[in-house]
Amino acid sequence: MRGTDDTDETATANDGDGLDPREAARLLARTKRDARRQFNISPPWITAFMGAVILLGYAALWLSTRGQHPYSGPSAGAIVLVYVTVAVAIAVSVKVYRRATAGVSGPALRKQKVEGAAILISYIGSPVIQGAMRHYGASHAIVYGVIPAAAPLIIVGTTVLGVAASNANRPQFITALAVVTAGIVALFVGPSGAWLAAGIGLFIGVVVYAAMTGKRFLLA
Amino acid sequence: MGTDTLDPVIHAPARLRIVATLAALPDGDSLSFTRLQDILDLTPGNLITHLRRLEDAGYLTSESTGNGRASRTTIALTHQGRAALDTYTEALRDLLGGF
Repeated sequence: MRGTDDTDETATANDGDGLDPREAARLLARTKRDARRQFNISPPWITAFMGAVILLGYAALWLSTRGQHPYSGPSAGAIVLVYVTVAVAIAVSVKVYRRATAGVSGPALRKQKVEGAAILISYIGSPVIQGAMRHYGASHAIVYGVIPAAAPLIIVGTTVLGVAASNANRPQFITALAVVTAGIVALFVGPSGAWLAAGIGLFIGVVVYAAMTGKRFLLA
Repeated sequence: MGTDTLDPVIHAPARLRIVATLAALPDGDSLSFTRLQDILDLTPGNLITHLRRLEDAGYLTSESTGNGRASRTTIALTHQGRAALDTYTEALRDLLGGF
């Protein structure tokens, strides 16, 4: 038999008689904490990891475009770095999500999947606007600077804002609000500054989310 | 310290862990038998025995789908089970003077 609290294969009416209330309270608290960890799709470490990815990606984009006159866009190296870090972040997130939701089924999980799909679909918004801007002859600075930096934050951020509001999820709502605000700021600070504003805004959003959810996790 | 006020169905280490683990899921969601067994590190026989006791008390429901190797059993805490855990937690708090 693997490690277990009960050593026999039967459960009788008296099998809790030897359990001291203090021990029961400790067991209950430990089990609740372990279960929350098991089912948590965004553990603190992944939030910290996302923060690092954001910082690295946006710093690379900003550094490669800083001081460009006229604006020509991020360097190939910076773009490759961003794609690689985003791919790694997606792979890690999917692995964590699959592990947390393995064996779980029901209405809450289905709702979560629909919300996830809505957020993923909203990512299409930015390249569509970018394409339209290019079609109408907007400048390089707008098409390859301001829009790709600011639009995802505003579009995806407002989608997350709606999801958070419908779930009364305060940490998610505040984070999404910070991200949308950063996106709006990014629209008005020039093509290179847009990457910096977007990166700082996203990073602050992630840090705020980690702090709020971490505190909630410790207090629960 | 008296344990008379504690629900005997929940007041057993394995069943307490089963109920507390299932209560961590959102209301209405269920968990597969294999994942629950994996989390609690109980033998299948031991887990089945305790699940049956909890199901008899109306604290959880189980549903089996498929046949043979493709069969899957899922377990969910009922409203009654969730309420029983809340009552048990309150009773523990009263006994220990808040924990």
